Amino acid sequence: MKEMIGRVDKLKAQKAVDHWKAKGLDLSLLLTKPEVGPEVATSCIQAQDHGLAGILDNQLVELCQVAIEGGEPVSLELPIRNLNRTTGTVLSSHIARRYGSEGLPPDTIRIKFTGSAGQSFGAFLSKGITLVLEGESNDYLGKGLSGGKIIVIPPPNVTYSPEETILIGNTSLYGATAGEGYFYGTAGERFAVRNSGARVVIDGTGDHGCEYMTGGVVVVLGKTGRNFAAGMSGGEAYVLDEDGKFRERCNMGMVEIESVVAQEDIRTLRAMIEAHLGYTKSANAKRVLDSWEIMLPKFAKVMPSDYKRVLQQRKAALAKEHAQREREVVNRG
Amino acid sequence: MADPRGFLKYPREGPKRRPIEVRVKDYKELYEPFEEDRLKRQGARCMDCGVPFCQSSSGCPVVNLIPEWNDLVHRGRWKDALKALHTTNNFPEFTGRLCPAPCESACVLGINRDPVSIRVIEWNIIDKGFEEGWVEPVLPVGSTGKCVAVVGSGPAGLAAAQQLVRAGHQVTVLEKADRIGGLLRYGIPDFKMEKWVLDRRLDQMQKEGVIFKTGVCVGVDTNLDALRRDFDAVLLAMGAEQPRELPVPGRDLKGVHLAMDYLTQQNKRIAGDTLQGEEISAKGKRVVVIGGGDTGSDCLGTAHRQGCVEAHQFELLPEPPLTRAGSTPWPFWPMKLRTSHAHEEGCDREWSISTTKFSGEDGRVTKLHASRVVFEDGKIVPVSGSEVEIDVDLVLLAMGFVGPVKNGFLDSLGVQYGTRGNVEVDEHFMTNVDGVFASGDTKRGASLIVWAIAEGRKAAQGVDWYLQTGKSIRTP
Repeated sequence: MKEMIGRVDKLKAQKAVDHWKAKGLDLSLLLTKPEVGPEVATSCIQAQDHGLAGILDNQLVELCQVAIEGGEPVSLELPIRNLNRTTGTVLSSHIARRYGSEGLPPDTIRIKFTGSAGQSFGAFLSKGITLVLEGESNDYLGKGLSGGKIIVIPPPNVTYSPEETILIGNTSLYGATAGEGYFYGTAGERFAVRNSGARVVIDGTGDHGCEYMTGGVVVVLGKTGRNFAAGMSGGEAYVLDEDGKFRERCNMGMVEIESVVAQEDIRTLRAMIEAHLGYTKSANAKRVLDSWEIMLPKFAKVMPSDYKRVLQQRKAALAKEHAQREREVVNRG
Repeated sequence: MADPRGFLKYPREGPKRRPIEVRVKDYKELYEPFEEDRLKRQGARCMDCGVPFCQSSSGCPVVNLIPEWNDLVHRGRWKDALKALHTTNNFPEFTGRLCPAPCESACVLGINRDPVSIRVIEWNIIDKGFEEGWVEPVLPVGSTGKCVAVVGSGPAGLAAAQQLVRAGHQVTVLEKADRIGGLLRYGIPDFKMEKWVLDRRLDQMQKEGVIFKTGVCVGVDTNLDALRRDFDAVLLAMGAEQPRELPVPGRDLKGVHLAMDYLTQQNKRIAGDTLQGEEISAKGKRVVVIGGGDTGSDCLGTAHRQGCVEAHQFELLPEPPLTRAGSTPWPFWPMKLRTSHAHEEGCDREWSISTTKFSGEDGRVTKLHASRVVFEDGKIVPVSGSEVEIDVDLVLLAMGFVGPVKNGFLDSLGVQYGTRGNVEVDEHFMTNVDGVFASGDTKRGASLIVWAIAEGRKAAQGVDWYLQTGKSIRTP
């Protein structure tokens, strides 16, 4: 192994350069071998300190042993500071190692934090873990969310209105694959970017919400920033458009906007808002549910065009198959 | 990084030392000023590396925000650069002048070119800051009502004191000498750092509320029990002043002195003090400095300025290679031959040589007897038949330090020592004695100023933690 470290001259780049996307790329500068002698170290000569020794997760893993080992419920309350980063991630790794992506039954581990969470709060959170944060959070909350549940609520008796206040930072739920999120407040930019499966409810977002999203469901009970749904190719979003200007803020390049009429959609939307109210006590959610008949028509359903076509084709094919099978049953009978 | 091609366009530059024949006539600092435009170009050489090794564990101990302020200087945003610099380093004017700059030997550009002139940039940022009046007292938001005694006023003690006073504690610095500053005051010669540089910083600290008490030798004039009456915590930052001795015949002859006695005297002389006791001077003398390190170099520089007629420096270890040795690859601190300003000023350097005896007439040293040595299985072995004699009038012993001075105060405290004889501390920099902390050379052995500042800051954090958790050593 040691002999090979730094031997870029042994790399064969032909295959990659032949690919149509990489055509014409000149990798020679990238693959330059610096002309240095033994007086310069070009490989790892000392271990790096990643600062993991004192992290909050070590404490969480210890406190959640019964859940990790026997699936027994654990409920905790802890303070948190913005020095605590990627909280819940190492804990998730212990669950993933033992139970895989199936994780634990919902809410097996429930931890309530109070304070300001540092970056990547609940990143890659496993199924079976619910993190409640009373306070606010820095960027990358729920990055790569993997089945866990994250709830963020403002502290009690705040003087600001949460619907108009950023409670979670930028780029929340980046690349989330599964799980749930309920945020009583608004998010910074790029909320749910590259989300591929998480189901989340929030009271408002910054610019570029649902950018490059490929799956999952996002409900926004208020204003979004501009360029919503840019490059969104899958999943669906429901946005409460009370000022009638959402269309201007939405990037229509790949999506269509519809009213929420299908019974299935109405059920999904209502259930998610009810859950939001239940978890966060959002006054906004209560207002919407209290006058549901008036509010429902104000929701815009954002649907990627190609995704919709594929869903329709799949539905039609399914129906056809179903009819065919019924005919066969009749014929045999 | 304002100029991505800066390192390809500009060569490394720095201020020049004043001509030898001029500078040895005074004790003023060695360097000529460096023009602002040229300095900005030096800032442009920084590559703003993805992994800035200047800030790694091989680089800057206080983790200065080097790429940030390199860029800010290049853009001419001096005030922002100063702010960034002060967030990690209390005293950049000391390190800018005196640090051997491990950041530069770890600089990525140093792999195949000359590294960025980091130290000179740091130095200029802070000197400009003082010139422009940007260095003002930073007053604490409130007072905690807690009192801390800092024993020793070198860079570790001062850094800790400034951090603690800014956190709202009342801080008293106790210094056994007649002036504040420790080795910065009486160890570092003026030609490396003139003392007004220290005084202007002490002035800021005084305005921030630090109380300085000189002429107080803890263990003699006061002790821990007495300190308990007035203080909630004690920080030991008393250096590592125990010199390594040379126990050979003739050591007691007149004219054989410890480096620190010699250097301290000259600094007092420049400060205008009337000297007590025997004066040590190199004027008209043949001088041998024993020890090849920085202290030895400071002795040489001082001897040149006093007007010695001959200067020699003897080092026990063999001569290191001219360039970085393979055993200390980049980004490590390199083992290599270092030629200081004092060597430039004239010196005969001898390597692999061990002093065996001093002899003299009328109680004064006149001859140094030495022998060549080789290393065999980690042991120093004299080479038979290699004995040499040299005529000498003044011998200065600069062979390093073996740790903090223990007899008396430290022993009486009952603090635990590590295997190298330094005071041991836990992760909060607290010794085994509750509420008694240690930092700097007292804790790590004789080391760099930048390490003293780094440890002073960390120890201050430990003391703050102790006080904030409601603990105290105070007797009711």
